[in-house]
Amino acid sequence: MKAAVDDDRCRGHGICCTLCPQVFTLTDDGYTVVQTPEVPAEFEQAVRAAVGSCPEQAITVS
Amino acid sequence: MSPAPKPAEGSRAEHSPDVDEVDFFRDDGLVADPYPYFDALRGQCPVRREPHHGVVMVTGYDEAVQVFQDSGTFSSCISVTGPFPGFPVPLEGGDVTALIEAHRDQLPMSDQLPTLDPPVHTAHRALLMKLITPRRLKENEACMWTLADRLLDEFLAGDEGEFISGFAGPFTLLVIADLLGVPGADLEEFTQALQHRPADHGIGSTGEDSLTHSPLEFLYARFAAYVQDRRREPRGDVLTGLATATFPDGSVPDVADVVRIAANLFSAGQETTVRLLSSAVKVIAERPAIQRRLREERDLIPNFIEEALRTESPVKGDFRLARVPAAVGGVDLPAGTTVMVLNGAANRDPRRFADPAAFDAARANARHHLAFGRGIHTCPGAPLARAEARVAIERILDRTAAIQVSQSAHGPASDRRYRYLPTFILRGLTRLYLEFTPAGEQPR
Repeated sequence: MKAAVDDDRCRGHGICCTLCPQVFTLTDDGYTVVQTPEVPAEFEQAVRAAVGSCPEQAITVS
Repeated sequence: MSPAPKPAEGSRAEHSPDVDEVDFFRDDGLVADPYPYFDALRGQCPVRREPHHGVVMVTGYDEAVQVFQDSGTFSSCISVTGPFPGFPVPLEGGDVTALIEAHRDQLPMSDQLPTLDPPVHTAHRALLMKLITPRRLKENEACMWTLADRLLDEFLAGDEGEFISGFAGPFTLLVIADLLGVPGADLEEFTQALQHRPADHGIGSTGEDSLTHSPLEFLYARFAAYVQDRRREPRGDVLTGLATATFPDGSVPDVADVVRIAANLFSAGQETTVRLLSSAVKVIAERPAIQRRLREERDLIPNFIEEALRTESPVKGDFRLARVPAAVGGVDLPAGTTVMVLNGAANRDPRRFADPAAFDAARANARHHLAFGRGIHTCPGAPLARAEARVAIERILDRTAAIQVSQSAHGPASDRRYRYLPTFILRGLTRLYLEFTPAGEQPR
């Protein structure tokens, strides 16, 4: 699984970083970056939760 | 952990008479402290129908997340009104989607973002997000420091003051006005029109609200004028950006659409942030150990704010309407069920937060709280509210040596008296009287 965050949509709610800090981190500016684009299997469920939780629907997985 | 297995809702699981005697929506007794009631409900079942209005109360954390994330099953058409006035026609049948679509326009606040469902919600929220871009928020934060200091100059001039009218109210109002680019010359008028309104005259109060001469009407008129003016004669200002923003498909919104969203920022973003600031500052004033720690460890402030949001969520909860039959936390809900998701209760679910009633500024998972909701309706102003709280607390701590609660206004530490907003939606103090020692002087 690969995860990506759309920079234009992200508004820094940080819910993804809360649900899966191993994959998503907040920059100093307060927006999310994907730290681990190739999602390790043990975090796939947490990443899916982050996709569903994102208020801006800014996270995609492929 | 999952809740204890619970048979289909309506069967005879244990019913505590206490819980059923209380009418959450009408009982003033719960205004001062709703949390024992939430705990009692959750103790019986995290998804439980209250008998007075037939509302299913969701007090569990996982259950709340499930409802918030399932906007396909749960419509937001009643999100701010719930059982009052209720749906205009009986909700019968196994799928009430068509009834919702046919009658949603008759519901109060049906044109406001919180009550919209996709796909209309998606387009209108995207429009809002164009108004509060990361760049705009950054500029806005720069302005917050100046605004905070200007207001504190006056507020801290004496050695005591009322925090909500003296700081939190004007601060949150002026921050949003700056965010939207309200011209400086108009700020005084905005303050006059929006500051002086009765605390019980808003969403969640159950009386017949007359919107005549309401703050909302003032905002609609002012922003309609701004938008029309900037569409006619674009300038290089923020209001021009607001007036010329388009929907994601490129179409130009009606003036009324833009105006609604601007007004919504005030109506949804101001009152709530005032309550966050006042409950956070109340903790600072009430708890000397926490105050000392925050003064020494400023890095702890953001987590302290999350804990303040968790323990005193400014929005107690909001409503959803089940379009089709659903199962939440093992409880079956028929189509047409009114559900109240209680953020303030989910945030004290012991299955998620250990010792949930305790205020722990360093709580590791404080940020997991649902004070801003979850899913597509998550508070769009959450980053704004967090920045406002951080700036305000930083500057208040910088500019005072000590802050305490006024005994003459709130009583001695052993017997405090506080008054809270008398609504079932909002949670927060109506007044917070403080005493302070300015920085550079010896604390008394």
